[in-house]
Amino acid sequence: MHIVCCVKQVPDTTQVKIDPETNTLIRAGVESICNPYDLVAVEAAVQLVERYTGRVTVISMGPPQAESALRECLSIGANEAILLSDRAFAGADTLATSYTLSQAITKINAAEPVDLIICGKQAIDGDTAQTGPGIATWMGYTQLTYVSEIIGIENGNITVRREIEGGCEVIQGRLPAMLTAELELASIRYATLPELIRALRYEVKVWGAKDINAAPEKLGLKGSPTSVREIFAPPVRGGGISFDAKEKKEQAVEDFLGALFTKEKTLMEEILIKASYAQE
Amino acid sequence: MKETFDVAIIGAGPAGISAACTLADAGIKTIVIERGEYPGAKNVSGGVLYGHNLAEILPDYTERKCPIERNIVEMRIWYLSKEAGYSIGYRDSIFTGDRKYNAFTVGRAKFDRWFAEQAHKKGALVVPSTTVADLLRDGNGTVTGVVTSRVDGEVRARVTLLANGINSPLAAVTGYRAEPKPEQIALAVKETIELPAEVIEQRFGVSAGNGVTTEILGEMTGGMSGVAVIYTNRDTLSLSIGANLAELAKNKLKPYDMIESFKQHPMVAPLIADGQPREYIAHWLAEGGYDAMPKLYGDGYLIAGDSAMLFNALHREGNNLAMASGKMAAETIIEALNKNDCSRRGLSAYGERMAESFVIKDMKKYRRFGSFLYQHNELYTQLPRLASFAAREMLTVNGVSKKQKQKLIMKEIRSKTSLFKLLRLLWRGWRSVK
Amino acid sequence: MPKNSKGREVAEVVPGKCIGCQLCIGECPTNVITMEDGVAVIEAEGCIGCGKCVDVCPVEGAILFEKQRKKKAPKAAVACPIEEYKGVAVFIEVQNGRGAEVSWELMGKARELAQKLDTRVFGFLPGYNIKSVAKEAIAYGCDIVYTLDDPLLETYLSKVYGKALAHLCQQVKPDILLLGATPLGRDVSSVVATQLGTGLTADCTGLDIDPECRLLMMTRPTFGGSIMATILCRNHRPQMSTVRPRVMKLPEKDMQRRGEIKKLGFEAARDSLPQVLEFIPRTAEAGEVDITRAPVLVVVGKGACDSKSLPMLEELAHLLGGTIACSRAVIEAGLLPYPRQVGQTGKTVAPKIYIGVGVSGAVQHLVGIQGSDKIIAINTDSQAPLMQIADYAIVGDYQQVVPRLIEGIKVRTEKEASKG
Repeated sequence: MHIVCCVKQVPDTTQVKIDPETNTLIRAGVESICNPYDLVAVEAAVQLVERYTGRVTVISMGPPQAESALRECLSIGANEAILLSDRAFAGADTLATSYTLSQAITKINAAEPVDLIICGKQAIDGDTAQTGPGIATWMGYTQLTYVSEIIGIENGNITVRREIEGGCEVIQGRLPAMLTAELELASIRYATLPELIRALRYEVKVWGAKDINAAPEKLGLKGSPTSVREIFAPPVRGGGISFDAKEKKEQAVEDFLGALFTKEKTLMEEILIKASYAQE
Repeated sequence: MKETFDVAIIGAGPAGISAACTLADAGIKTIVIERGEYPGAKNVSGGVLYGHNLAEILPDYTERKCPIERNIVEMRIWYLSKEAGYSIGYRDSIFTGDRKYNAFTVGRAKFDRWFAEQAHKKGALVVPSTTVADLLRDGNGTVTGVVTSRVDGEVRARVTLLANGINSPLAAVTGYRAEPKPEQIALAVKETIELPAEVIEQRFGVSAGNGVTTEILGEMTGGMSGVAVIYTNRDTLSLSIGANLAELAKNKLKPYDMIESFKQHPMVAPLIADGQPREYIAHWLAEGGYDAMPKLYGDGYLIAGDSAMLFNALHREGNNLAMASGKMAAETIIEALNKNDCSRRGLSAYGERMAESFVIKDMKKYRRFGSFLYQHNELYTQLPRLASFAAREMLTVNGVSKKQKQKLIMKEIRSKTSLFKLLRLLWRGWRSVK
Repeated sequence: MPKNSKGREVAEVVPGKCIGCQLCIGECPTNVITMEDGVAVIEAEGCIGCGKCVDVCPVEGAILFEKQRKKKAPKAAVACPIEEYKGVAVFIEVQNGRGAEVSWELMGKARELAQKLDTRVFGFLPGYNIKSVAKEAIAYGCDIVYTLDDPLLETYLSKVYGKALAHLCQQVKPDILLLGATPLGRDVSSVVATQLGTGLTADCTGLDIDPECRLLMMTRPTFGGSIMATILCRNHRPQMSTVRPRVMKLPEKDMQRRGEIKKLGFEAARDSLPQVLEFIPRTAEAGEVDITRAPVLVVVGKGACDSKSLPMLEELAHLLGGTIACSRAVIEAGLLPYPRQVGQTGKTVAPKIYIGVGVSGAVQHLVGIQGSDKIIAINTDSQAPLMQIADYAIVGDYQQVVPRLIEGIKVRTEKEASKG
């Protein structure tokens, strides 16, 4: 079985913020990591290959530095890694990204037929969850998103558990298929030293627009219907009334309740009435 | 793991990477094992490097885009009391010309990463996120490699270079180096403060790309033996203040409070005004000097850098000693491998090389300086106060004659100490660094 | 003014402004822009000063002095107005035979947008036996409901629903298509957008119409909620957007409203489709509640992360007919289960009253509570971000404040009861 995993290098977002005064970006010590959902996807693929035999190829679209995300995937057991890097890819939104990735998969498929694509559910920097379904649509593969368990593969069918509104479903679809991974799908292994060393030594293949036979007008900025108009700091709610309960505790709380029940009279009445019904 | 290497280096800091570059240049199969997520991840940003030392390893470091923060054109020394201080500095245009990059500041997180990449390009294998848990030894006690915490994590190597810094759990496990005593260590806290590059240039009176180092002694360590520094980076200032660990423990002082009050000092506050704190970190400095150094080599292993307690407390030089020792270790290893003798005897040239170099010469020259500082706490209490008193009186114009003022100052000095004591202090200080 | 050795005025990257989006790299005709340390670097010698990077830069991170003086031409004019596309459509998701609440929330938003554009609101309703849902759609503000009623559409399958919605878009040609960011909505939206080759913006928290170019302005948090971006889809239709539940207000239902229901035909390949073998409803664990539906939330933060305090906080919540939720730190400490988490990585909530106890209010948390009517914060640190934005901020130790609050509310409840 041949599995392709699509991964993305993302900034470790916890530290990116905007200075509300100057509206500039503060990226103190921002490190790039492999999107955690994508690592789960790779782990799941490696486990499938361990179960059914086969190979795992990881691909990523990004700048040359994104190679390190691919190495992370290699260290946990992916067999091959390809970086899609070309200036023509820059500025891609999800449509252009999924097009680019699917062109690469088409090429990989021609050399060695692809049975399964596994992507992370979403990337932590964008949270869009669109690239996986986009790829499935371009490729015409069976689409199975939010997969939390791969139950089995038999006679060209894959059976998985999907997390959906109000519960989960067990669903069976034809291969080739595209899965997106929930975090529960697999727990990422700690690479062994020989695997880590293999990953560090591996020469990542780099493909550009020509290598994947892509239509220039569908790539990067040109191929992206959406564009960023502006970015800004999240809106700040204006501050309200403050009560200092450090000094005069009783009075402060009493003052607060007084203000609350006067200013929000109707709201509070409604809430207390509903609460009393609920209790009865 | 089945694969064996010629050399295993523990730690991808300046010492380990210097050795790795030298070894890789000679075509020796080298693995460097680093516990941080990437080289420099465990490090503290803000440090001074010397072009001469770096060029010994990488003559073309500027072409290789070494991430230099600022070229140092002026070194300042301050002597501070609580609310006042002396400042002297030396600036020379030669440091922007012929001797550019004599000294420069780097962010260690960035620099170490870049430095390791150079070793990688030369052919050394740098393995991050991997901790060395133990050394491998054969029946005779010869070190034959390392044990990492990863699965299948043994690495066999003909020689092992320990370059894993001062704070090393491995030292405790294997006993290759005695646990440093608290008085041999300084605990330093470092804060980086973000300011626009132009503001830094204006406040320090330097043009774009140039910078200043300031080394500070005095009362701000609260009577404890210690030093503070201010380094200019591209768009940050690194402030660091450290004090002897034993004294910190004794006085129950928090390093954090020390740096906070240091930032309030009238000579410091205007430099950092309106800056945003960006990083705060505490680290150890090996201040034990020559007498705290472990044996530098043994059967199958060598020690370099901070791991060998190589640090010049007076000149705040640690990185260059690390780089120089790393290189000498590598040169020794190359010879030993060629002779096929990696025993203690085969590696003994390391000791000789080191002894002849500035590294050990400087360590010896200053061997008593640490204890001198440690034993004379008046350097951080009484003396800066008296010195400030003297200057304050002399410089205040209030109708009192200068002669009268001198008398007043001498009286104050005699009431607090004696001329004899002062002379003795000077003598001892000079002796300690002679 | 920066010039290169050829005397040509060149573009410059403004320090600190560049966000590393790489748009300029694709745009530069001479390929002189590279990324270094996550920001763009322009090689001055090769730059021809065309200003394309300046035009494309979303944050004014690149400047060219010439351009700056000229003042940018307004971005307004859409190259080729796509005039056949009209109306604001909402995908109506069916959950257990009823319309999903998020679809009705979007219907309210769609009405507002349609008013600004002086156009109509459409409902796109694929499903099986969905007449009652279609009627409800009209009550919530829909002018025309287009239904595809087919047994094949009874259970959700990406391919079938994708095709159904794409088909509706091709038939009706709406200017805008809104979908709820439920698992189903997110799954199908990308399929449709890819099939139609149009733009899709996920998880929007704000939707509005640009008064000049009349385009849909789609605002969403990015970088884990720490930055907001407004996104346009200029030259492709429909402009597609998904919105999380509870972000938009549920409009009033008006059963008297009039509208049309139009049934369209639909053909889809029925072979080699995936088969749902089993549906396992999520069993409510003991004490598990849906925090997004509670009118009052008492939210436990890091500063009140103590199992001993829980009963007290639960009492406060109960008294107001609400329930307990928490910030991420409390989940990590294992005090409360994940479904109770509020914020970017947890749930978006919009209670009538939000009471934060010891919640500092990191941005990631704040984006998840934006829709709350009234925010009350209790914290010893008056400088905590949540305290700064709260409608009512009580500075003090919650251990002392909360019991007094409970006391005070009880007194008032009794008064209320004796009155009524």
